[in-house]
Amino acid sequence: MDNKIWVVAKREYLERVRSRWFIAMTLLVPALMAGAFLFPIWMAARGSVSNQLGHIRILDATGTGLGERIAKAMYADSTLGITAGDSLAPRVEVVTPTQLPAKEQAAIAEVQLRDHIAGVLSLTDSSIAGQSARYAGRNASNISDMDKLRTIVRQSAMMVRLEHEGVRPEIVNDLARSNMRLNTDRVTETGKSGSGTAGLFVGIIVGVLLFMSIIFHGQNILRGVLEEKATRVAEVVLSSVKPESLLAGKVLGVGAVGLTQQAAWLGIATYLTNFLAPIVMKNIAAKGGAAAAANAAAASPIAGALGGISLTVIGIALAYFLVGFVFYACLYAAAGSMVNSEQEAQQAATPVMFLLISTWLMVNPVLVNPTSRLAVVLSWLPWSSPIIMPMRIGLTSVSPLEVAGSLVVAIIGCVAAVWLSARIYRVGMLMYGKKPTFAEVAKWIRYA
Amino acid sequence: MSDLAIDIRHVVKRFEEHVAVRDLSLEVPRGSVYGLLGPNGAGKTTTIRMILDVIAPDSGTISIFGVPHDSPGILNKVGYLPEERGLYKKMQVRRVLLFLAELKGVGVRDASKRIDEWLERFSLNTPEKNWGDAKVDELSRGMQQKVQFIATLLHDPDLVILDEPFSGLDPINAQALKDAVVELKRRGKTVIFSTHVMDNAEKMCDSVCIIARGVKVLDGAVAAVRQQHGGRNVALSLANGALNGVGAILRDPSLVNKLDENNRFFEIELAPDADPQSLLRRLIDVGASIERFELVQPSLHQIFIQRVGASGVETGMSGHG
Repeated sequence: MDNKIWVVAKREYLERVRSRWFIAMTLLVPALMAGAFLFPIWMAARGSVSNQLGHIRILDATGTGLGERIAKAMYADSTLGITAGDSLAPRVEVVTPTQLPAKEQAAIAEVQLRDHIAGVLSLTDSSIAGQSARYAGRNASNISDMDKLRTIVRQSAMMVRLEHEGVRPEIVNDLARSNMRLNTDRVTETGKSGSGTAGLFVGIIVGVLLFMSIIFHGQNILRGVLEEKATRVAEVVLSSVKPESLLAGKVLGVGAVGLTQQAAWLGIATYLTNFLAPIVMKNIAAKGGAAAAANAAAASPIAGALGGISLTVIGIALAYFLVGFVFYACLYAAAGSMVNSEQEAQQAATPVMFLLISTWLMVNPVLVNPTSRLAVVLSWLPWSSPIIMPMRIGLTSVSPLEVAGSLVVAIIGCVAAVWLSARIYRVGMLMYGKKPTFAEVAKWIRYA
Repeated sequence: MSDLAIDIRHVVKRFEEHVAVRDLSLEVPRGSVYGLLGPNGAGKTTTIRMILDVIAPDSGTISIFGVPHDSPGILNKVGYLPEERGLYKKMQVRRVLLFLAELKGVGVRDASKRIDEWLERFSLNTPEKNWGDAKVDELSRGMQQKVQFIATLLHDPDLVILDEPFSGLDPINAQALKDAVVELKRRGKTVIFSTHVMDNAEKMCDSVCIIARGVKVLDGAVAAVRQQHGGRNVALSLANGALNGVGAILRDPSLVNKLDENNRFFEIELAPDADPQSLLRRLIDVGASIERFELVQPSLHQIFIQRVGASGVETGMSGHG
């Protein structure tokens, strides 16, 4: 092949990689992404059960010792951080159902007056039946607190009922300590592979990365072509190298920039999640709420997502990235060669953007139902398959035959785009003056 | 190896609304300085672009040094300075030059060495500042033109094509360019340049081709062209200007075909059947005080005006002809 392609590609690559923009984007995006992952964990840890939950008054009108059991459960729960002899520990007051309204009023008044009591939990027969309990307190709008309280009340009520029904206390206590966690596995036709949420996140990450790279670097090519045309440097370059080679070198060079950037993103993101995340966790743990942080981290998608990316998925995503990138890059280059100014360029690129955006709008429906007819059709169309297919592969099982078929269609589409763009580019690069109409461009394609 | 640097045969190029070049044939001898002359819109730039295989002719053939112009590697022997100059603005001068040299097949190390020499020679590398490390858009216009010229010659081409090289040059740089062309010729290189300034062409070219409206009007060695058109021109100087009946005589269509009047100096093209002696006699008869009456070879400018005329400029065409 023409070694001038490599000279062009080398220039495109080096000039872009050296630019401040590239360096900034390469460093900032993973930082933002890591932030986006770590922030919810941090928030979850922070926003988890407040230290107020322990400081409540329990009015037990059930006559079954439910209040005592709740208090005990609260002592036992490390996330509440109640220590023995804590003056602010939950206090239980056994009352009769007739006393309850008055006592409740008094306790609520006390909550209003004094800081150290967070709220009042009122238990009635209906609580034992597992139907309702009442809580009034300053932290009533804290979702984590209320979740925790509901769980404790429900479990305790269940324990009391079990004891009533004659189940041995040891068994009841054992049940109370059990902590069930649900581990999910996604089952596909080829067997168990990765976890369910991991698949979803692989799909989203792959889709977002491909879309962002194509749009960002596609626009880059558009601007590069426009610059060569506007500065008239194109004429010197074209006297040394065929327009097809110039186009090919440009697409290769910028494509390599995209791959470099993605490799850097992946590397930095892995570093941040593997090395930085534990430090953040430790910090959160040091401030209390260690268990909450651990819980949040375990439930967080990244750990699973990174584990869920297999080499095959990376390979397929890479293949689709290359095909999709070449497809769109060529169209962007053709758009850039048709026009003379940045403004006109955005207009000329509108059809390309339309293909990209219409694909992007379909991402959500595909995420929700990756086996729908829509998803299948989109993973065959050459302009949407590079984004949709890798997502579907992450989300569900797609037969290797379908993947191969869609790749072949995408490659055919890609070759057509290269052919079409080369013809427009060849004529467009030396055409100055007014923006060509579609009829004129069609003529270029026929006669070039 | 062929004796011709360029051999164009029956080349035709049509654009949508007009024919830019019709059936053009021309031969540029190796080692010569060749002028491609014509008014704006005559098809000069189109012809040059076709030589460089930037655009394809609709029909006809073009050879460079005896091989088709689309043979691999042949364009590496050609240096091109386009009329519309431009470089990558945000790129370092040295890197732009390296890139353009590499596109012409020069190795990186060799190119770097040559770039240093050229920067030195064009005083772009001074003790105060090495402009090679600056970005292109930090350079003045004159410096950018120097860089572009370096880019044209960096790969030591055997054929140098300059499209309107004098446009936008100040007198000092224009002189430097003329010196460079002379040096290229001395080193056995072939130089083709297009211009519509006949004065430059007359002084510098060995051979010329005049084209108008995409058609060749004439071509050949400058001396031969002038000889062909010689003997019918009179250079006339009068001490008192066109007094008395002189004006009427000079406007007599039976004697004078064309008159270039400069108050006291006149360049006259005689009418086809007119005798220069009868013109002289009639001037003496009306008492004109003649300082000079000489049968001369016409200047290229005269020939150009005579053969192309004011109608040579096709309307509605820009300067990209």
